[in-house]
Amino acid sequence: MPVRHGLLTLLSRGPRHGYQLRVEFEASTGATWPLNIGQVYTTLSRLERDGLVKPGESDEQGRVVYTITAAGREEMVRWFSTPVIHSDRPRDELVIKLAMAVAAKKVDVAEVIHKQRTATMRALQQLTRAKRAATEGAAQRLVLDSMIFQAEAEQRWLDHCEAVLKEER
Amino acid sequence: MTFVRLAEVARVHGEGATAVHALKGVSLEVDVGELVAVMGPSGSGKSTLLNLAGGLDRPTSGTVHIGEQDLATMRDLAALRRRSVGFVFQDLNLITSLTAAENVMLPRELDGLRSSLARKEAMAVLAEIDAEYLADRFPDELSGGQRQRVAIARALVGERRLLLADEPTGALDTRTGDEILQTLRARSDAGAAVLLVTHEPRYAAWADRVVFLRDGMITDTTDTSLVSAP
Repeated sequence: MPVRHGLLTLLSRGPRHGYQLRVEFEASTGATWPLNIGQVYTTLSRLERDGLVKPGESDEQGRVVYTITAAGREEMVRWFSTPVIHSDRPRDELVIKLAMAVAAKKVDVAEVIHKQRTATMRALQQLTRAKRAATEGAAQRLVLDSMIFQAEAEQRWLDHCEAVLKEER
Repeated sequence: MTFVRLAEVARVHGEGATAVHALKGVSLEVDVGELVAVMGPSGSGKSTLLNLAGGLDRPTSGTVHIGEQDLATMRDLAALRRRSVGFVFQDLNLITSLTAAENVMLPRELDGLRSSLARKEAMAVLAEIDAEYLADRFPDELSGGQRQRVAIARALVGERRLLLADEPTGALDTRTGDEILQTLRARSDAGAAVLLVTHEPRYAAWADRVVFLRDGMITDTTDTSLVSAP
């Protein structure tokens, strides 16, 4: 669960309260993964339950400051040393849609591809604009780069589908 | 303000049964300060489109205007190209026996400019793209990305405000490719009309508008509004 480990990583830089964690999380992910404050506190209480963080005194505004524990640091190290496996990836609606369009025979697949390609390109243009405007440093830009590479992969796959289907006809 | 305008442009190579219809009635405009990307697979007519837009080739039918000028009425396309159009290709851009600055000066010297003045202009345009420090290096002392940026400077030296780029990111890695697009983008934001041909979505995405070319026809463009499926 990346939010859990993300918060642990931020806490490894020093004690923080929930609101601070939320701001820093969004800044380093380029706000591509918005967190609500409720989610932050739910995650913190689970981390506390598991002994990975401990709450301290509340500050003058009543906010509780959390500190990472030794077990929390170990968990963070374990996270960074484990590769991410995409086996549990949610199924992609676009892939299913195109497969169904091909199977249905009566659907204009080329048109589905054109519409999607234009929409994906627009998304890619927006991401590129966001990247040009990104000022929060390398972490933010790299998150946007990841989304750019994914959109690009989709675009290439659509081109590939078009070329393959053209030969089939 | 439109700077280059192609109207119903067709280009046929050869004739009769073996005729190849490279472009079949393409209309496209690029405004001052606009970056337009043309995407398409090989054989879709991308390079033909670029060559027609820059007056390297003439259409079989349809018209091409650069600024106010109808290219069909121009005798001396070479002079027009030198004055108004800059080209950047994938490679073979720079003359290896000349320094970066001398390469950039060259089109202006061909225009008849004194070499001191040409040098001044070359240094100015190199400064605009933060490449002044490359001025006295020879092409083989430059990285691929640096060579392309010098080629962009050369394409824009003097009064030229139309830049045509054919796969300028060629074999460059994505980070260097992004730098090239950054330079093209900055030049277009500064008022140049830029037409970029690429088959790479990530670079096309820097454009204000992306045009998809298939089999010599524009099949789609990103500036039309699209209703997304529920």
